[in-house]
Amino acid sequence: MSHLDFLSPDLAADDAVWRSPLERALAHAPEGVEDLTRTAVFEVRGDVDGLEGEVVRLTPERAYVLCPFEEAGRVRMRLTGAGRVVVDASAGWAGLRVHGETLMHRLTDLDLNALPALGALAHVRALVIRDEGDSFRLYFAQEYGHSVAEAVIDAAEGLA
Amino acid sequence: MRLEPQQGERIDRSHEVSFTFHGASVRGFEGDTLASALYAEGQRIFSRSFKYHRPRGLLCCRGTCPNCMVQVDGTPNVRACVTPIREGASVEAQNVWGSLDHDLLAITDKIGGPFTPVGFYYRTMIRPRRAWPLYEKFLRNVAGLGKVDKHAGRASRYDVEHRHAEVLVIGGGESGQAAAREAAAEGRHTVLVDNGPDPIELEGVETIQGTALGTFEGGLVPVDAGLVLYRFRAGHVVVAAGAVEQPLLFPGNDLVGVVLPEAVRRLVGRWSLRPGTRAVVISADDGGLDTLPYLERAGTEIAEVVDLRETRVHEIAAQGRGGRLASVELDGLKVGCDLLVVSGGRQPAYALLAHAGARVEYDDGRGIFVPTDLPPGIEVVGPAAGETGDAAIPAATYNGAAKKGKCFVCICEDVTDKDVKRAIAEGFDSIELAKRYTTVTMGPCQGKLCHVPSIRLYARENETDEATIGTTTARPPWQPVELGLLAGRPHEPAQRTAIHHRHKELGAKMMWTGSWRRPHSYGDPAAEAKNVHDSLGVIDVSTLGKLIVSGPDSAAFLERLYPNRFGDMKAGRIRYGVLNSDAGRIMDDGTLARLSEEDFYVTTTSTGAGAVVEWFEWWNAIWRMDVEIVNVTGALAAVNVAGPNARELMTRLTDLDVSNDAFMYLDAKHAHVAGAPSLLLRIGFVGELGYEIHFPSPYGEHVWNEILAKGADLGVKPFGLEPQRILRLEKMHILVGQDTDSESNVLEASMPWIAKLDKDDFVGKWSLEHVLERGFREQLVGFEMENGVVPAEGGQIVIDGRPGGRVTSARWSNQLDRAIGMAWVPPNLAEEDAELTIKVDGSVEKARVRLRPFFDPEGEHLRT
Amino acid sequence: MSFLLPCPNCGPRPVDEFTCTGEVTVRPKSDPTLRDLTDYLYFKNNVAGVQREWWCHRLGCEAWFTADRDTRTNEVLSVEVPAKK
Repeated sequence: MSHLDFLSPDLAADDAVWRSPLERALAHAPEGVEDLTRTAVFEVRGDVDGLEGEVVRLTPERAYVLCPFEEAGRVRMRLTGAGRVVVDASAGWAGLRVHGETLMHRLTDLDLNALPALGALAHVRALVIRDEGDSFRLYFAQEYGHSVAEAVIDAAEGLA
Repeated sequence: MRLEPQQGERIDRSHEVSFTFHGASVRGFEGDTLASALYAEGQRIFSRSFKYHRPRGLLCCRGTCPNCMVQVDGTPNVRACVTPIREGASVEAQNVWGSLDHDLLAITDKIGGPFTPVGFYYRTMIRPRRAWPLYEKFLRNVAGLGKVDKHAGRASRYDVEHRHAEVLVIGGGESGQAAAREAAAEGRHTVLVDNGPDPIELEGVETIQGTALGTFEGGLVPVDAGLVLYRFRAGHVVVAAGAVEQPLLFPGNDLVGVVLPEAVRRLVGRWSLRPGTRAVVISADDGGLDTLPYLERAGTEIAEVVDLRETRVHEIAAQGRGGRLASVELDGLKVGCDLLVVSGGRQPAYALLAHAGARVEYDDGRGIFVPTDLPPGIEVVGPAAGETGDAAIPAATYNGAAKKGKCFVCICEDVTDKDVKRAIAEGFDSIELAKRYTTVTMGPCQGKLCHVPSIRLYARENETDEATIGTTTARPPWQPVELGLLAGRPHEPAQRTAIHHRHKELGAKMMWTGSWRRPHSYGDPAAEAKNVHDSLGVIDVSTLGKLIVSGPDSAAFLERLYPNRFGDMKAGRIRYGVLNSDAGRIMDDGTLARLSEEDFYVTTTSTGAGAVVEWFEWWNAIWRMDVEIVNVTGALAAVNVAGPNARELMTRLTDLDVSNDAFMYLDAKHAHVAGAPSLLLRIGFVGELGYEIHFPSPYGEHVWNEILAKGADLGVKPFGLEPQRILRLEKMHILVGQDTDSESNVLEASMPWIAKLDKDDFVGKWSLEHVLERGFREQLVGFEMENGVVPAEGGQIVIDGRPGGRVTSARWSNQLDRAIGMAWVPPNLAEEDAELTIKVDGSVEKARVRLRPFFDPEGEHLRT
Repeated sequence: MSFLLPCPNCGPRPVDEFTCTGEVTVRPKSDPTLRDLTDYLYFKNNVAGVQREWWCHRLGCEAWFTADRDTRTNEVLSVEVPAKK
């Protein structure tokens, strides 16, 4: 076992029960709000050119790499090397998919035409990615998960 | 009286809407406002004034003056003239004792004058002092305008929406629309904000109905759109806010029937209402004259028209009956009328520019204040820039020799010209002082109708000019705004551990630690603490800050940052570290586990994680060492299992060899625990054999459940922060921020072994050396109470009758059957068995100093 | 305060996304006198004018950088990421 393996949720035994911090808040979520927490996220420091996976650069030497949870092991291995420091941050991030610019405007003052970006969303640091149309992915620290989910559902209710 | 259908009227006569006014039904049409519907049914008095309770009627009809403010469905201070009619609304007058027609408090108008001059509350109702509660009760009942309904509950939902625009145009009049069209034609993303009653449609421009409240740094312009606050960030702001019609100052200028030109245009043009039967018009500009066609259309007889640009008038006085206009005297000529249209010119609405830092200058040719020296990013167009047309400069007042009748400078606050003169006579001669003393401009209109007239009056009374008097500082909001809108949604971010729901289900009493929710206890803190000593306890410590410090320079980096020595740590070992500022003060504490030659795992206090990460990164921004710091606080849940049965429990959860020889005290090991990949730290802050298990947070509930299930027959019980405090205190472990403050250092806090002063350099080294040189001023020690009384935290140590130290922690320990605590004492008392005198609830109690842990000082339980 | 700060990585952002630890100071190179130590720890220039300060984009890229800000107007004249050694 590598000495940072204790961070990787994909290395758990089959009978260990994985639960999302958003589960309870989303029990009564409106249509169109989807839990994306079961996603792998890697913190990569060093040479962040040409990395495999969905790459979001924060600085010239720091990036987040996202990939499906099932591919975590493979991507983790591919990222290691070339003097890079790779830390599996998967367990630290919760995620949501939402729809609509107006909804987003009620959650964040990030410029929605300048995504992906890291900034404040519902008063919490978040990674915001825009997909086709008006679909947005939000990733934020899992300990704020319930809080952010509540804010998102509340904002959606205000637009209903 | 409702006229025949007019061209351009805004009412839809096929749609009736009704509401109640003091219980009586009022019928109007869709397109009416509350005021126009009431006016149509003959209502002329809409409110009673602030101090004198004088009858007031429609004056501006555009939401500027206070005269039409009413209570609607429990909401106070609603301007009826701009509030659309609403089916079923319940409308009531405010600030009356009795009714609008017969307000008992109008007695202050008749006799109150001598007793209620400007600033009277600085001189009256002071003695006898014991009568204040009576004065206060009286004042609270008569002061203010609307009443807040404390039992209304949450009536509205307010949302905040963040928007961006390349160009934000404020004001949708002619110049605003032109500016917006131009910007859009240049391909710039343009938004137009207008607070008028009619929606505006402009091609290529997004228009919003709302009021811009102010301009702030960074192109921030908040827009009040009723239930939504738009927080605009604009690249460029164009202010086309127009100009405000100004009144004239003369005795009787507040009588019902004295109006500004816009009132005529709206009453006739929008709502098809006759504003009066016989009118006099006195105008310093085209504004008053522009109302003539409207008056003719309405069938109002025009008795006299005075254009102040052509005719010089010295005295104007209005007379009334029961507060309603009956005649106007112009230089001795008396004219009967029930409508007096006055226009003192138009004053540019410069406030939004002043907020942004523009200067305001007096144009003495035209008698207006104009914005100038605009900062970058903002421009002004149209009347707001000073393009207000040809106007005569009105006299400060038109009193002449007239002695009768009140001439109001500020109708919001009921300040007369005599009040202003008195204030100046009392020495309040600068405008900022005079404003605060007279309260002119401090009412609902916020100076829109009274600021410039008052400046003219100050200038005359001080024998100087308006340019010298100047203006007062303009501050947001431009228009009154509901506090609920500024508050937005009631949402504050809170941090929860992955095990949160299990604590709630187990009946935990939750508390805040910073923004974390944590269990204080599960109902019986004393029993929970005892259970840790007797069998087995488990606590959720997921809130601990957790950092990976990785790289060839990681050990050297930590050595430079901490007073401790870490370079000689072997992989798989743990040390307790105390982080220092460069002033040698304790910032935070935690454990450091060396995972490998280049990797360390550092924990911090629960509320310190963010600050510690920033501290580490900041120093490395300066030192640029080959090390990476990664914050994994939320990625890992952590639980601490402690008690004599802890080892047995671990054998049931993991394949790892947890015998004492294989897994020693202060070892760190990797293993799967309950199926989750984990880092196990054998540490012991609660004094018993214990293991801290760190593992990925999605497995939080799973691991917790397994611990409770597999430890059931071992007596496992969860324990919270309160029992943890008792247990830690028994071991005399400091709590950073509780036992230490921003001045404490590791030497005086009795942890000298932490500071390895033989190291070359570390953050805080020089300061600690200085502490040794100057000698200790105080020391942190433990103590035991002789009589078992638990002193309050913060309680004073009494030395020679004076405070000489303080208690930082104190608890009753069932395990030790004693009251124990920690305190800062003078160095001469920092000796085993020294006697302390502690103030407890007014009396004094004795205690003995202890320098070694109260429970198991040798640490045998930890190492078992 | 609502001015925008140009983060070297993320572009202009509202100031409340950042942490500011104040004036850039120079740590004494070695064993300072008590006076020099106290100067370094407690005395700041605190100019009414352009000041070089440490900022961290706490809610964004989390990078530390220095900014030259005019304390009278909050205009940020330039930002700089500390060079790697």
